[in-house]
Amino acid sequence: MELNIIDLTKKFGKFTAVNHLNVTMTNGVYGLLGVNGAGKTTLMRMICTLLGPTSGTITCDGKDIMSMGENYRKKLGYLPQDFGFYPEFTVQDYLLYIAAIKGLRPVVAKKRVNDLISGVGLSKAANKKMRKLSGGMKRRAGIAQAMLNDPAVLVLDEPTAGLDPNERIRFRNLISELAENRLVLLSTHIVSDIEYIANEILLMREGELVHRGTAAQLIASMKESVWKCYAQKKDVSHFMKNYKISNMKSEPDGVELRIISNERPAMDAVPEEANLEDVFLYYFGEKVSDTNGAI
Amino acid sequence: MVRFEIKKIFGKRINKLVLVLLFVIVLIGSFLAIRDVRCYQEDGSVRSGVAAISQLKKLKNKWRGAVTEDVIKKVVQENQLSRDSETIKLARQQSFDDIREMINAGFSPAEGYDYYTADQISPEKAAKLYEQRIEKLKEELSAGNEEGNYTNKEKEFLIHQYESLKTPLYYEYAEGWKALLDSQYLPTLMIITIVMIGFLVSGIFSDEFQYKTDSVFFSSRLGRSRAIVSKIAAGFLAITVVYWSVMLLFSAIILCVVGFGGAGCMIQTGLGNWESFYNITYLQDWLLTMFGGYAGNLFILSFAMLISVKSRSTVLTVTVPFVLSCAPMFLGRVQILTKIMNFFPDMLLRISKFLDVLLVCEVGGNVIGVYPFLIVLYFLLSLAIIPVLYCGYRRAEVK
Repeated sequence: MELNIIDLTKKFGKFTAVNHLNVTMTNGVYGLLGVNGAGKTTLMRMICTLLGPTSGTITCDGKDIMSMGENYRKKLGYLPQDFGFYPEFTVQDYLLYIAAIKGLRPVVAKKRVNDLISGVGLSKAANKKMRKLSGGMKRRAGIAQAMLNDPAVLVLDEPTAGLDPNERIRFRNLISELAENRLVLLSTHIVSDIEYIANEILLMREGELVHRGTAAQLIASMKESVWKCYAQKKDVSHFMKNYKISNMKSEPDGVELRIISNERPAMDAVPEEANLEDVFLYYFGEKVSDTNGAI
Repeated sequence: MVRFEIKKIFGKRINKLVLVLLFVIVLIGSFLAIRDVRCYQEDGSVRSGVAAISQLKKLKNKWRGAVTEDVIKKVVQENQLSRDSETIKLARQQSFDDIREMINAGFSPAEGYDYYTADQISPEKAAKLYEQRIEKLKEELSAGNEEGNYTNKEKEFLIHQYESLKTPLYYEYAEGWKALLDSQYLPTLMIITIVMIGFLVSGIFSDEFQYKTDSVFFSSRLGRSRAIVSKIAAGFLAITVVYWSVMLLFSAIILCVVGFGGAGCMIQTGLGNWESFYNITYLQDWLLTMFGGYAGNLFILSFAMLISVKSRSTVLTVTVPFVLSCAPMFLGRVQILTKIMNFFPDMLLRISKFLDVLLVCEVGGNVIGVYPFLIVLYFLLSLAIIPVLYCGYRRAEVK
């Protein structure tokens, strides 16, 4: 399975959401990282044939996915960011319906639905109406519907958004389990989720691919260092104006700062090992002076 | 898949409420229609509803049979012999009231209906009732307000239709059919039904966007093919089942209570349709009305579904059946629009009330009644909407 994105562009009026993007993906988990409006969801919707590109193509094993139609979609599983459901359907009805529109034969669908319901831990809620499920349960029903056809391409848009830490860890593990022998494209704001499960990370900004690689490669690609230092509260604004602050923690006698900078930001600053959050900030973060320096 | 689409429609709380409301409206409508069957007593009291039916049936069936010249003469004589008070007269006239009304309608002046015509006419003149019907039409077509409204071909058609009516007419008690078809309740029920079904089908397409289930739907294997077909099928199934359930229940209640008798009588046997050029029986009138209403329902509601696909708004879609079934009634009052409005689909919801209006049209060189034309036209248009619905939804993008 190879998904090839070739010179892909999507414009909405004058706004360019995806700009001449080129990526090739094979089996494995790909984490898509970027700030809001970076074009992640638009890219995913094009991969799911929900949007047609303005120019460029996406091919699956060499064939244009738009021309493939059903033959492509039968390989596809999608959990959208705004996962909607039919409020009056029970979990079982909902999954049976999605199985039907995915073209599963009723006998196969019934077995698959039962397997997935227990697989995602919804056995006790199988006959509950969808509208009565908690946020985490809805997401689990969402991943179950995406997995119904055992997809070769699994697209998950912000799958852990809004979940409590327990649900998030559980969900993350579930995705890891499902990731074998398929291509999983995962988008999230939560950097640690990607750090744990993605084999390769794609960084997107303003519709373009800024960088790609493993977590270690991305960390190594940083041209600045990470520093930890302590500052008085009155000095914090000075650091915020001049440096990218990766983390701030209030202490009784001041503030502990994690700073990304080429030079040592303070005399007492000590170098720290970089992590993926630092990478995110390095590529996408802004100093306060970049945005509201006048305030 | 159709099963799930049906489940989506009837699983919605508002739609369950709509069905219960529709059932209650059918019961109320039937009760009112039955209540309107009245039998006047010689003591001045009036029996209505179930209490009046058997008495009225006995009275009217005294005149069962062909309404020949002799029968017409006899009706005029009996009508004029009575020197009783108005109250007693009203009670005694009931048995031949339908034939009396045929005489009133036939011999009333062109300017308007006169209830007392039968009280003054001679039996010999009244006996020429059927010839008078044709003569009156010819006069009306060649003079007065009707002049210019009909082409010569249309006039010939109307006269031919009048002349083709097989006389003498057969008469018997047909209050069940009259209560069902000649009252205002049936057209009102049809409009209510179409508005209510509008609620049921309004969300079939747009709810996918409202519930944000569109992404999963359209990215599924059959989401842009058979799943859409199943939505269309569910829509048409819901329209068909609910419409016919309502109409059959309404008809069955009235006919079971008031009586099935008179199904074979021509609709001209009475005041309501004396001037109609449709030479059909009450049973055929019922079939025409029902299938006309069905064609109207199919078109208006499939058009509403098309709006649902294009607008992605359930709220806007709900208003479409209401606008299409009610607005033309008001627009038709504007003189220049009157003729055009006769071809709007709402006309199909009122067939039984307007069968006596001389609405004709010319299709392929042949003159026919407007209703058969509209039934075929709107049925075909409903079918033509299906591929537009399918393609419109198939091409939908999720932005």
